[in-house]
Amino acid sequence: MAADMRLPTAGEQISSSSLSLLDGKHLVVPGDVITSDTGFMRGHGTYMDEEKLTASVAGEVERVNKLICVRPLKTRFNGEVGDVVVGRITEVQQKRWKVETNSRLDSVLLLSSVNLPGGELRRRSAEDELSMRDYLQEGDLISAEVQSVFADGALSLHTRSLKYGKLGQGVLVLVSPSLVKRQKTHFHNLPCGASIILGSNGYIWLYPTPGQQDEEAGGYYTSMEPVPLSDREVISRLRNCLLVLAAHKILLYDTSVLYCFESSLSHQIKDILKPEVMDEIVMKTRQRLMEQEG
Amino acid sequence: MAGVELLSDQGYRLDGRKASELRKVQARMGVFAQADGSAYIEQGNTKALAVVYGPHEVRGSRSRTMHDRAVINCQYSMATFSTAERKRRPHGDRKSSEMSLHLKQTFEAAVLTQLYPRSQIDIYVKILQSDGGNYSACVNAATLALVDAGIPMRDYVCACTAGFVEDTPLADLCHAEESGGGTTLALALLPRSRHIALVQMDARLHQDHLDMLMEAAAEACRGLSKVLDGVVRQHLQEVSVLTRD
Amino acid sequence: MASVQVSEAEKVYIMHGVRDDLRVDGRGCEDYRHMVIETDVVSNTDGSAKVSLGHSDILVGVKAEIGKPRALVPDEGYLEFFVDCSANATPEFEGRGGEELGIDLSNTLYKVFNNKHSIDLRSLCICPGEHCWVLYVDVLLLQCDGNLFDAISIAIKAALFNTRIPKVHISEDAEGGKEIELSDDPYDCVRLNVENVPCIVTLCKVGQRHVVDATLQEKACSVASLLLAVTHKGMVTCVRKMGGGSLDPESISEMTETGKRVGKALHAPLMDLLKKEEGLGKNRQKVGFLR
Repeated sequence: MAADMRLPTAGEQISSSSLSLLDGKHLVVPGDVITSDTGFMRGHGTYMDEEKLTASVAGEVERVNKLICVRPLKTRFNGEVGDVVVGRITEVQQKRWKVETNSRLDSVLLLSSVNLPGGELRRRSAEDELSMRDYLQEGDLISAEVQSVFADGALSLHTRSLKYGKLGQGVLVLVSPSLVKRQKTHFHNLPCGASIILGSNGYIWLYPTPGQQDEEAGGYYTSMEPVPLSDREVISRLRNCLLVLAAHKILLYDTSVLYCFESSLSHQIKDILKPEVMDEIVMKTRQRLMEQEG
Repeated sequence: MAGVELLSDQGYRLDGRKASELRKVQARMGVFAQADGSAYIEQGNTKALAVVYGPHEVRGSRSRTMHDRAVINCQYSMATFSTAERKRRPHGDRKSSEMSLHLKQTFEAAVLTQLYPRSQIDIYVKILQSDGGNYSACVNAATLALVDAGIPMRDYVCACTAGFVEDTPLADLCHAEESGGGTTLALALLPRSRHIALVQMDARLHQDHLDMLMEAAAEACRGLSKVLDGVVRQHLQEVSVLTRD
Repeated sequence: MASVQVSEAEKVYIMHGVRDDLRVDGRGCEDYRHMVIETDVVSNTDGSAKVSLGHSDILVGVKAEIGKPRALVPDEGYLEFFVDCSANATPEFEGRGGEELGIDLSNTLYKVFNNKHSIDLRSLCICPGEHCWVLYVDVLLLQCDGNLFDAISIAIKAALFNTRIPKVHISEDAEGGKEIELSDDPYDCVRLNVENVPCIVTLCKVGQRHVVDATLQEKACSVASLLLAVTHKGMVTCVRKMGGGSLDPESISEMTETGKRVGKALHAPLMDLLKKEEGLGKNRQKVGFLR
């Protein structure tokens, strides 16, 4: 199989027709004065400089009634209560785990915030503390929900529901948190044959749809059975599609991922990441998304 | 001054520029996908690359954690092929350590660190080709990288060098002019508030000329800030066009 | 090597995938990722190249200087390698963190190029015993996404292809000593013959099979890897085993066979691409980092 080598290509400049889509968007850079009116409240991405509301990041101004904030194009994950995240355990400490979630401080998963295996409800004992590593080790992936935010910005997670917990076999894809659309549910069973968890922190987990019998096992049983080849192909294709969407900065949610998957079916899985194939797939996906909106 | 004439009688410098003319600046943000923020800048023949990681949990020594603000960690290094004579060590020598400290000082003045207690912001700058104005290119590249990473800043930080030849201040010196033996002033400025983040000067200068030199450097920084502003807005537009929801 | 953490379940998934010849990104076990190559990126070097393999970014600069030849081989020039793992790639490489990896990489490069056939070192000689060209090959690691050796070797080959060494004129001066004059004409230069420069192929053993061009996740699942330097004729110039695990002899012979096949297939497209790029001449739009 010949290696695919090529010369770099200069990127395209944005055309004037697409610039018209920016009408109505107020874009600011750090140091820009947004308004001198003192009636507004100051939100994220701004600071007060001698009575003038000034932007501190580069992005779009969002105005909700009297609150003005600036949303930057790319940023680390700023968690809020109720967000679903996918994280990796980095440390096992006394009575808690440290979880890495692509935010500015590592998140915390307290021992009291997890379900014990078997589903018992009791006070955590010293034995539970000593056997923390049996539940979750360094390097394990979990899906969890943000329970609260500490004063310094660190998140406290919980997995007190059967749909959260340790994740089994599958593929993790990393994208920017600003590309994941806020929706009612972040767990989807896609019709193409795989399931997806769209973590709000930009960590996206793809896994084979579990069969009926696995539902009752609770959060800790991970099957080490080989995943069938057809499921693997679907998951690999989905992974490449996610990377394509992220590279072209398209918002990620179940519909856009599905459309991209369907547009890519005419190509081989490993060809999806080639630049010309990427452009083609993105164009088709955008078209379908616009038709669906309009 | 012996040897090369830095400013000709008609007012042209070694590379054909006028006294207060800046070199051509080209820049791009978002060069690397894996880092939180990255930028590349070319000022004439000086090429610099800046990468920002963070804010993230303090790695390494926990003792460096500050409870009320973020720690800014800078490293300046030069590629071994960046200078005309091959450099043996990319970083770790005294000059690089001094530059790293200057960069840290500069950005602590501009970044709103009190929004990120107990975290760390890493800024790594690499000079790919060196032709004078290394510090300025680093500061400008790092500013763009910080904006790309979405880290709140008070204002841009723009830096430029200025020199003094025969009662005329020269803006944006190249390597030959810096090593010509005259004065070199490096200035890092926050353009809108006109606050100075860092000032450094080598060699002797008459007291009366200092104001003129600072003013020339400040003027050059303001010109640079316009260019950087243009680059950021262009990048903002390009990305905003793509994310339409 | 900058490493990522992988959970046990992810490792099992990756290993089963490799066994079925369908890796996580859809490639087969012998497929390379998409590569972008460009030469002449840094203007004050004698030759340079930039290679992007997946997310790995490597920049190589070659500087030619006049030095004294080594005592044992007075009629040959030599190459010096230096690998700089910059903190750009990952914060772990800050300060002295990247030195260990850098030294490891440069030592391996010395071994790979330490033979008579890769580069004609005699062509680098100016005056036997007194003056010769020393080529300083500096590798700068900008982003790390697995499979560094392969990308570095391709970048070195491209940079050496791009290297232009000025022609020298040796003249005798009054006292009988030799004077060296470098030609001032930028077009009057010597090019190197890089036909025999080997390309490195790294094969990682994952489970029972081996893969070419492993990503960081696949590397975390493998216990040992084999590094092969292969020339365009399929000749192996250097073999090295890396990693903490052990390999049984059958695996080694299987991996060598695969490595020879894959390595041989790398050279032709690379040389075609380099010649095509040179053929564009002045019309070539230099991209570098600006696009």
